[in-house]
Amino acid sequence: MTLNEHPEKFIVPIGPQHPALKEPGHFEFTVDGEIVTDASVRLGFVHRGIEKGTENRNWNQNLYLLERICGICSHVHALAYALGVEKLAKVAVPPRAQAIRILVAELERLHSHMLWLGVAAHEAGFDTLFMYTWRDREIVMDLLESLCGNRVNYSANVLGGVKVDVTDKIRDSILKGIEYLEPRTKMYLDLVTTERTLIGRTRGIGFMTRETAEELGTVGPTARASGLDRDVRIEAPYAAYPDFPVQIVMEEKGDLEARFVVRVKELFESYRLIREVLDKLPEGEISIRVPRRIPEGETISRVEAPRGELFYYIKSNGTEFPERVKVRTPSINNFASVIATAVGHTLADIPMILSGIDPCFSCNDRMVSIRKDGELFTPDWEEIRKYGITYYA
Amino acid sequence: MDTQTLLNQAQELLSPISTDINFPEENRMDIFLTPSALIPAVEKLHSAHWGYLSAITGLDHIPSSQGTSEEREWAHTAEGEEQTGFGYSGSIEVLYHFCNRAAILTLRVQLPYQHTVVPSICQLIPSATLFERELMEMFGVVVENTPNTDHLLLPDDWPAGVYPLRKEFTGFDSFDEGTGDTDDA
Repeated sequence: MTLNEHPEKFIVPIGPQHPALKEPGHFEFTVDGEIVTDASVRLGFVHRGIEKGTENRNWNQNLYLLERICGICSHVHALAYALGVEKLAKVAVPPRAQAIRILVAELERLHSHMLWLGVAAHEAGFDTLFMYTWRDREIVMDLLESLCGNRVNYSANVLGGVKVDVTDKIRDSILKGIEYLEPRTKMYLDLVTTERTLIGRTRGIGFMTRETAEELGTVGPTARASGLDRDVRIEAPYAAYPDFPVQIVMEEKGDLEARFVVRVKELFESYRLIREVLDKLPEGEISIRVPRRIPEGETISRVEAPRGELFYYIKSNGTEFPERVKVRTPSINNFASVIATAVGHTLADIPMILSGIDPCFSCNDRMVSIRKDGELFTPDWEEIRKYGITYYA
Repeated sequence: MDTQTLLNQAQELLSPISTDINFPEENRMDIFLTPSALIPAVEKLHSAHWGYLSAITGLDHIPSSQGTSEEREWAHTAEGEEQTGFGYSGSIEVLYHFCNRAAILTLRVQLPYQHTVVPSICQLIPSATLFERELMEMFGVVVENTPNTDHLLLPDDWPAGVYPLRKEFTGFDSFDEGTGDTDDA
């Protein structure tokens, strides 16, 4: 490998079993002493072949498959897909459904940002903050469960609308939940900007200029922390966002601290949006029929996931099955920024820089190959189903 | 700046080198290019700071007896040697999506199975390396001068010449590894 060609280089391999993250990713950092001089990434340890899988499932089944790309931001995947398919089918989704969609999307952003805040605090060695945020996140998870019936893959979307409605009781419990969370979030904002031990790990670390962020195609809070105003909810509002405009949250500093501040401040913006949606929830139906066959055509659907712009390219050949679904998740864009910003930092800063983009590996990895008696084989759906039944029997 | 102005700007930049322009949706514009026009097109967008590369999508157009309208279009506009031996025998299409606010510009390059080669755009947009690695392993497109040709997502011991996102790949049970390399087929 490179080691033989350049004997002076020293490469530190990190992962796939990772000291910093609970998800598998492999990185190679070339170091000169403690200083990182080059970095490369290798993904695919949780690749499941979902893009290929979509081609063998009908439009409706795919909604549930795509939702399982990520356990954190499952709703936005289903949302991006549903919006695209609805555009191809030329159906107008009822306004109430669109409002409920963004309500769930903002609740999802809350729990995702809180999850990240906990993970990042843990990487910084600040486990108390980790426990606080994860306890508070449970409140959001309970709200999602009471609204959708599920904590993780809440499955609020159907093609043509949503399948859950907001009752008065649920509305009250959501309002009560965010009323509790708001002062907690103020405390977090204080902590991430004043707590000495945390600032020591974040201030001036992983710095990225606006120009670099722009050039690397960085998206989401990572971009906004470098003063780059990229937010699909604002640039190209979808679902009910035209009726419930979002205020952009930006920081200019471009370091890890700014990424903390942006995400925590976005929690306040989500609280505001959730209150507004609940206050002005349009009356009416929550879904409309979408035909089984989707007219021939292609479309691009973009939504703002908690980690940034999520991009779906959907092509229909006029049948019950899609011709192609391409998913480009925000983390893959943001990895480029890790590789770029890691250079020049000490190895000890790398876990923080990595977690600073809120990386999501399941997002990036979508084919399962299994080694069975030394042979590589890819199980088909039926085999996976049988395996699952015998495994859990 | 509104979406239409942005698209007009891009159209002005790229219409001299494109073979065709299409407006599939109100916020989208497709620019059809020959592989040799790809770098100049990206260069123009890059120096004008028009948006950012959001994704690279591969599409497999399997051979059909008639050829799709896109293929006929391609055969009509293809240059020189690349046209040699090209019937309607199928092609890989590579889509470079650039986003700027709500506007989405897609550069579309069509590659016949016999010659699935595109130039790398990493010299201009370094972050394209991850997308290009995915394109190479999933569709068997050769990306010339790309800085890293390692697998990004597939295992290191994935059989050579097996490209999972091509339509002919339906899993290993039915896939004959002996004739796996379809580039020569």
